Amino acid sequence: MTTPNKTPPGADPKQLERTGTVREIGSQAVWSLSSCKPGFGVDQLRDDNLETYWQSDGSQPHLVNIQFRRKTTVKTLCIYADYKSDESYTPSKISIRVGNNFHNLQEIRQLELVEPSGWIHVPLTDTHKKPIRTFMIQIAVLANHQNGRDTHMRQIKVYTPVEESSIGKFPRCTTIDFMMYRSIR
Amino acid sequence: LQAAIWQALNHYAYRDAVFLAERLYAEVHSEEALFLLATCYYRSGKAYKAYRLLKGHSCTTPQCKYLLAKCCVDLSKLAEGEQILSGGVLNKQKSHDDIVMEFGDSACFTLSLLGHVYCKTDRLAKGSECYQKSLSLNPFLWSPFESLCEIGEKPDPDQTFKLTSLQNFSSCLPNTCTTLVSNHNISHRQPETVLMETPQDTIELNRINLESSNSKYSSLNTDSSMSYIDSAVISPDTVPLGSGTAILSKQAQNKPKTGRSLLGGPAALSPLTPSFGILPLETPSPGDGSYLQNYTNSSSVIDVPSTGAPSKKKLCVMQTVSRISQAGTKSVFSQSGNSREVTPILVAQTQSSGPQTSTTPQVLSPTIAAPPNALPRRSSRLFTSDSSTTKENSKKLKMKFPPKIPNRKTKSKTNKGGITQPNLNDSLEITKLDSSIISEGKISTVAPQIQAFTLQKAAAEGLMSLLRDMGKGYLALCSYNCKEAINILSHLPSHHYNTGWVLCQIGRAYFELAEYMQAERIFSEVRRIENYRVEGMEIYSTTLWHLQKDVALSVLSKDLTDMDKNSPEAWCAAGNCFSLQREHDIAIKFFQRAIQVDPNYAYAYTLLGHEFVLTEELDKALACFRNAIRVNPRHYNAWYGLGMIYYKQEKFSLAEMHFQKALDINPQSSVLLCHIGVVQHALKKSEKALDTLNKAINIDPKNPLCKFHRASVLFANEKYKSALQELEELKQIVPKESLVYFLIGKVYKKLGQTHLALMNFSWAMDLDPKGANNQIKEAIDKRYLPDDEEPITQEEQIIGTDESQESSMTDADDTQLHAVESDEF
Repeated sequence: MTTPNKTPPGADPKQLERTGTVREIGSQAVWSLSSCKPGFGVDQLRDDNLETYWQSDGSQPHLVNIQFRRKTTVKTLCIYADYKSDESYTPSKISIRVGNNFHNLQEIRQLELVEPSGWIHVPLTDTHKKPIRTFMIQIAVLANHQNGRDTHMRQIKVYTPVEESSIGKFPRCTTIDFMMYRSIR
Repeated sequence: LQAAIWQALNHYAYRDAVFLAERLYAEVHSEEALFLLATCYYRSGKAYKAYRLLKGHSCTTPQCKYLLAKCCVDLSKLAEGEQILSGGVLNKQKSHDDIVMEFGDSACFTLSLLGHVYCKTDRLAKGSECYQKSLSLNPFLWSPFESLCEIGEKPDPDQTFKLTSLQNFSSCLPNTCTTLVSNHNISHRQPETVLMETPQDTIELNRINLESSNSKYSSLNTDSSMSYIDSAVISPDTVPLGSGTAILSKQAQNKPKTGRSLLGGPAALSPLTPSFGILPLETPSPGDGSYLQNYTNSSSVIDVPSTGAPSKKKLCVMQTVSRISQAGTKSVFSQSGNSREVTPILVAQTQSSGPQTSTTPQVLSPTIAAPPNALPRRSSRLFTSDSSTTKENSKKLKMKFPPKIPNRKTKSKTNKGGITQPNLNDSLEITKLDSSIISEGKISTVAPQIQAFTLQKAAAEGLMSLLRDMGKGYLALCSYNCKEAINILSHLPSHHYNTGWVLCQIGRAYFELAEYMQAERIFSEVRRIENYRVEGMEIYSTTLWHLQKDVALSVLSKDLTDMDKNSPEAWCAAGNCFSLQREHDIAIKFFQRAIQVDPNYAYAYTLLGHEFVLTEELDKALACFRNAIRVNPRHYNAWYGLGMIYYKQEKFSLAEMHFQKALDINPQSSVLLCHIGVVQHALKKSEKALDTLNKAINIDPKNPLCKFHRASVLFANEKYKSALQELEELKQIVPKESLVYFLIGKVYKKLGQTHLALMNFSWAMDLDPKGANNQIKEAIDKRYLPDDEEPITQEEQIIGTDESQESSMTDADDTQLHAVESDEF
């Protein structure tokens, strides 16, 4: 993705949620940051508010660590970045690493962003094209636009594929007729 | 002063009532005043005040005890409540008969309360015993019957809802004149009852009853409280008089009151229908049978005073003043009128018939004609005279046969009040008239009051038959005999059918049958008719959830939460709404709120459990379902939920056990059977699984998932032909379901017909582009990996370009579809 074209904004992740195929599981994880300015920390990163953001306050690379209690399947990562509002704070090179703990991380994706202006969907798949299963995800901001030192990140969402709640190892039903009989509520 | 207090209470002016009651209590530290004060507190909604007040002072009178127990139960102090009512654990427990003796007329309510306590503390056997006894004492009570159904007992509505014994009737209708009881018994329920053999006996009985009531009353001090309890339930406008006025003069109002209380009773308990409400004016000729016929016919006459009503005997209990004015001789009045108005009519009758005259039917007619004029007077008198009579009646109503037959004369003598005397006499005369009419149809000198009694009896009987039907319907529903329940309830008369309660039950029956479309239709009708009703609405919200009608659901939840923030049903609806939008965290919040609002509401726990399952928090979900079962062991949804969790955790035998428990409670649920079938298949009991699935399909042929699972079991057992057949049928039923094509594709794959398999997979993916591409893709991948090159190109073609392929595929599909069909046929 080294084209000079700007990175197009992705769809609002809420749309994803409404399809019922994925579920946001950031609340099941422990979030930590390599550094942050007071008042611009994890809460602002996870508050569902695009106006508030995390501002780092250290040296590069800036890290966001997401640690789950148990090995979780992660399908997509959604990051909101906006060049127009953040300019030199906007990340331009992001590396995504997964593993069991801090010493065990392995990079699985690297993104280059060129003047992003919205949500960026990062599908996380392993070599077999299935969503990864991991204990920990680390998002590393390696470089910013205009060589900025610190970075702003407005929102990050983590999605897991929804398990079939119906009986049997089948994919989801599509019609209401089937879904009506699927369970007793 | 007491009169003033009761009047204030009756006008819901609680602050006045409380103030006056406090002054009274300060003045007179009697138990009665204490009770009055506590009642004021309780009625104004401050149960805790009543509780502390009554606790602080010893209460020996039954009504104080009853009120204290009620406060305890409201404040969830169940053990204390129980102890007050029945002696508790440490003291010797009183038997039910003791309770009956002690509480007299309010025994039925006491037992009902006690039953409630027992059920909540897990002593279901004792609880059901209490409820049964309460019902036997007062068949007008619906809630013990309902509770019995809910705890899984099967009370027989026919047995329960009948006015069999004198005792029962009198005890439940404290204000009723006993003559009514006897008459009623005789004519309706037990033709063999000796009582009704001769008019003479009846009269005697009446006299006995009257006398006993007299004597009892005279033995009473002017204690308003006792009767108050009963009358309070029965007729909301009862205002017990304070002491003071002549006992006997009050007693005279007995008779008028009786009519009223009877009608007040049913009125308080259920919507009145013409079937029992219409007390026809009858000409004296017909006998028993025709009488019965008459009022059953009258069920077709709706609550309109009616000239149109079939003319019956000249019994004229006119229940609504307005109606009376139109009535003339042929008035049929629905009971929906204020029961109070009956009494005026009775009084009118009695009065106009003149004191001491043995009224002939002809005499009665002028009586009846007169009522409109008389009525205003009567009603005013009624209001002022209030429930002194009710009081007395309640006390008296331990209707055992009084041993003596007092002289009627003495009674009339004792009535010294001007108006009262004629009443009494008249009432006696009515008794006579009634009995004669009932027993033989002889036109004899029967007092107008007998007509009234017969009418009351008729009213009561009508009510009973209504309650019987509703009871049967409700019982069927609680045993999940849903089709039966729908049937029974649909046969109720239409004005009852179109009420919120009945329609909600029917809606729920459809819901349990998984016929969500029908249920939705019925529930929207309920909303149209009674948009203030919240009780059945949680089922409606779940129905909409199943049908995925998010707009309707959000409208419903908004309306309910606006209307009543303290009802768990509203929050359940809101939670369902957000759950449908897949905002599970918010849904969880709302369900938790529902639980906060009412911790004894099992369904909220169940729904919360389902949400936790959807957010993968299985431990919390388990806890929720277990809570639901703790609250209501017959909540089969919770058992189902537990089964589902164990299934997800692959603990299949546990899952099967829980599903089986759910099935025991609700044996006709095809969805449950379907799940059991799948679990059995997972446990490798495929034969059983097929049996179960077959049963499920038999019960509900419209359930496509059963067929689907049957097909998948057949597929797993390698019975490909039958699986295919099943799936083809399914394709006809639900043509847009991707799963069907997916499974067909798998079958073809196994059969080696690759291009058909591929086609079906592509259709499946077509129908479900976002859904389970992984699985379908995998299926295709697996097929092709070991194969030769030729199919690989097809594979790439399919997997690589989902979106672009779709359009081309649809064309291809159409052509291929035709091809397939020709292949298959």
